[in-house]
Amino acid sequence: MTLTVHGLWVRAWRGRPPEGWLLLVALVAAVFMSAPVAYVGIRAFSEAGSRWTVLLNERVPTLLWNTVSLAAAVGLVAGTLGVTLAWLINRTDLPGRRMWRWLLALPLAIPPYVGAMAYVIVFGPRGWVTDVFGSTPLDMYSFAGAAFVLSVFTYPYVYLVVGSATARLGRSHEDVARSLGLGPFAVFRRVTLPLMRPAIGAGVVLVVLYVLSDFGAVALLRYSTFTSAIYYQMGGFDTGAAAILSVVLIALTLLILGAEAATRHKARFYQTGGVASAPRLIELGRLKWAALTYVAVVFTISVAVPLAVLGYWTRQGLLEQGLDPRFFEFAINTVKAAGIAAVIAMVVAVPVVYLRSRHPSPPSTIIERLAYSGYALPGVIVALGVIFFSLRLAPAIYGTMFLVAVAYVIRFLPQAMQSVSASLAAVSPRIDEAARVAGLGPLGVVFRVIAHLIAPGVIAGGALVFVGSAKELPATLLLRPAGFDTLAVRVWIEAGEGAYHLAAPPALVIVLLSLLPLKWMLDRFQEAD
Amino acid sequence: MRLRILAAAALSLLAIVGAGCAAKADSRSTPSDKPDKIVVYTSRKEEFVAPLLAKFTKDTGIKADALYADDAVINRLKEEVGSPRADILIGNDAGALEYLRLKKVLAPADQAIVGIESIDSAFRAADGSWFGLSARTRVLMYNKDLITDAQMPKTMEELTDPKWKGKFAIARGGNGSVIAHVSALRAEWGDAKTEEWIRKVKDNAGAITDGHGDIRKAVGAGEFSFGLVNNYYYHQQLLESADNNVGVIYPDQGDGEMGAVVNAAGVGLVAGGPNRTAAREFAQWVLLPENQRAFSNASLEVPINPAIEAPDGTAAIDSYKVNDLPLSKLGEVWEDTRSLIERAGLDLELK
Repeated sequence: MTLTVHGLWVRAWRGRPPEGWLLLVALVAAVFMSAPVAYVGIRAFSEAGSRWTVLLNERVPTLLWNTVSLAAAVGLVAGTLGVTLAWLINRTDLPGRRMWRWLLALPLAIPPYVGAMAYVIVFGPRGWVTDVFGSTPLDMYSFAGAAFVLSVFTYPYVYLVVGSATARLGRSHEDVARSLGLGPFAVFRRVTLPLMRPAIGAGVVLVVLYVLSDFGAVALLRYSTFTSAIYYQMGGFDTGAAAILSVVLIALTLLILGAEAATRHKARFYQTGGVASAPRLIELGRLKWAALTYVAVVFTISVAVPLAVLGYWTRQGLLEQGLDPRFFEFAINTVKAAGIAAVIAMVVAVPVVYLRSRHPSPPSTIIERLAYSGYALPGVIVALGVIFFSLRLAPAIYGTMFLVAVAYVIRFLPQAMQSVSASLAAVSPRIDEAARVAGLGPLGVVFRVIAHLIAPGVIAGGALVFVGSAKELPATLLLRPAGFDTLAVRVWIEAGEGAYHLAAPPALVIVLLSLLPLKWMLDRFQEAD
Repeated sequence: MRLRILAAAALSLLAIVGAGCAAKADSRSTPSDKPDKIVVYTSRKEEFVAPLLAKFTKDTGIKADALYADDAVINRLKEEVGSPRADILIGNDAGALEYLRLKKVLAPADQAIVGIESIDSAFRAADGSWFGLSARTRVLMYNKDLITDAQMPKTMEELTDPKWKGKFAIARGGNGSVIAHVSALRAEWGDAKTEEWIRKVKDNAGAITDGHGDIRKAVGAGEFSFGLVNNYYYHQQLLESADNNVGVIYPDQGDGEMGAVVNAAGVGLVAGGPNRTAAREFAQWVLLPENQRAFSNASLEVPINPAIEAPDGTAAIDSYKVNDLPLSKLGEVWEDTRSLIERAGLDLELK
């Protein structure tokens, strides 16, 4: 057997090389997705060594401590909230648990920067509590303020992941423990909790990654983490320093992703034999009311209070001076940029996911990973990369709305890919073969047959991209052209000025918009129920 | 069916992109035939600039797209120098305007700007790249419930006195007004003394805020006895319905003292901007007396042109002693001053 280039090519693809067109489309998409982020690295490493030394000595230690301590505190608080709530909802006879199940996921629809604004209105130095009582129990502009807001609005990540794992687990382990004489809380502590460790870890990692990437909440609360430092360095357009700090933050993110992957391999639990039987509910007995109070308090803090604040100020604003006449312009800008991003993401996600699914091999894995570059990356870093990229290589789109849309696609494409991938898994490759036999080319198969079959997944993915984009703050702030403000940008500007009657209406619209894909997300998390 | 929707969506996207590129190509090929819009970057607050631009559009029919991004616009312009997107910069700090002129980010209009002579030559660039419109004087504003006029410090140097520990607020080091103020102090005192002053004042200050609006609100509410601000913040606070019992000190007025430091807000023309003709038209429009007045009055600043009536209750620029450093000198030291501020430990951006 002679070793030819063609032979190597076929071997690299595990004997199933894709057709040229499919490969080209996927490759272009992947390079396009990863190039801006690669640019950040290039920019950082082309800085003089002395700049690195100065930043590593003077800025990085403080930022690292601020960021890591905040992420740890939020991970702990949100983790505790998420785990206890998931257990109460899924495993006990908590009154109204069907209703609480989705009520407790609602904070996901409130972007933390909106929550931060709401709690500045409540607890801030000139807020409601200070007005009434003369002082405030919580200094919002502090570590505690930032940790509070981020915990309250991110616990649903843990709550949903752990909840779905709890539901899948079945009851056999717990039954054995109970038959051996353990009480309900001992079962929780000694059996359920250890079994849930992988799910808790996954949920907490989502929370921690969110804290690393959040810009709006920490900046509004004047707490400095890597993202806000990078943003303000770019505001000063000290792009070199911004790039260096970005590289440090990317390293931190990769470290956490790596740690999570490593521990996940170690901790595996199995349900042996048979189908998991439906869990039996633990009777809370006299603790019922304590549990109910707990759940109600969390709901009040994370949903009722912020919505009440937004509702109050929206009403005040409308009564005092009516809706900002440019409100619809902002709404249209939001829909335009987010809509373009959603359409691009839907079109790009399909060939990339299809390639990975139908031609599994090292090259297709690399292409998929490249397209995942934006995953877990803070918006500020994506924006930084997009600026470098477009000023050097595509000046025609610099300073246009498309640049904003490009950043959205990079940032949220992974969500669309996950959604498409889940749908594609349900389509048998035999359908592809049938289509090929019927005379369709590879792109024809993808766009005329497969896209048709997986349309619900594609559309759901587009919806996720749309809503993520509509909420997106830092990249929009940094990339928007003159005269192009979105709803999120207006919330940020008006909240910064303390003009809450102008900030509340767009914030409320963003929250309502975010409710749309929530139902779909809940279904996905709880389909095992 | 769904396939058709997807295809239609993709096609319409391509159409939008195509149309966008075509429109861009059009505007490139005929840059100045029909001045129908300008792009304005501004570090001034939206509430002060937006009404001005609305009036401009109403008067001239030229649309004005604005980007409000605080001091970040200075460096955004610098970054975009290869492919400028803005025509006009409305800035808050003559030092930054001159600095951008030296960096060739700002450039004079192709033809002289009618009306620019109404501005004293100390307050504009010799080549007409930028001109100041309103004066901003560095003052100490205080809360009359907490401190009396007699007790207040009267000079900048006194701010280092330990007795004021925690009693006052200052803005972050990267704020344009702070940079210009420090440049003036350097010219007066030299670098070593200025650096020492910053170090002591930042440790003495009870708070370092993002902007001066926070300081006026905090002083008005009694969170601090006084704050170092620009004079119009004092006038703005007087107009509040509550927390308005505030007074003002114009510092360093004694014999042999340096006088209050004055800066200017004004307009610059971006080099190679996409709509040069319309940009010049804007510059001439804003120099019309009624618009000079509107520019200053919106924020209760004092017009630089003495022929323009000052807002009620404000001190005219010739009624107190003013530091004599020419504003155009602020440009060449702008970057140096930023590094000096950072070296002294006052963060340019809040951390």
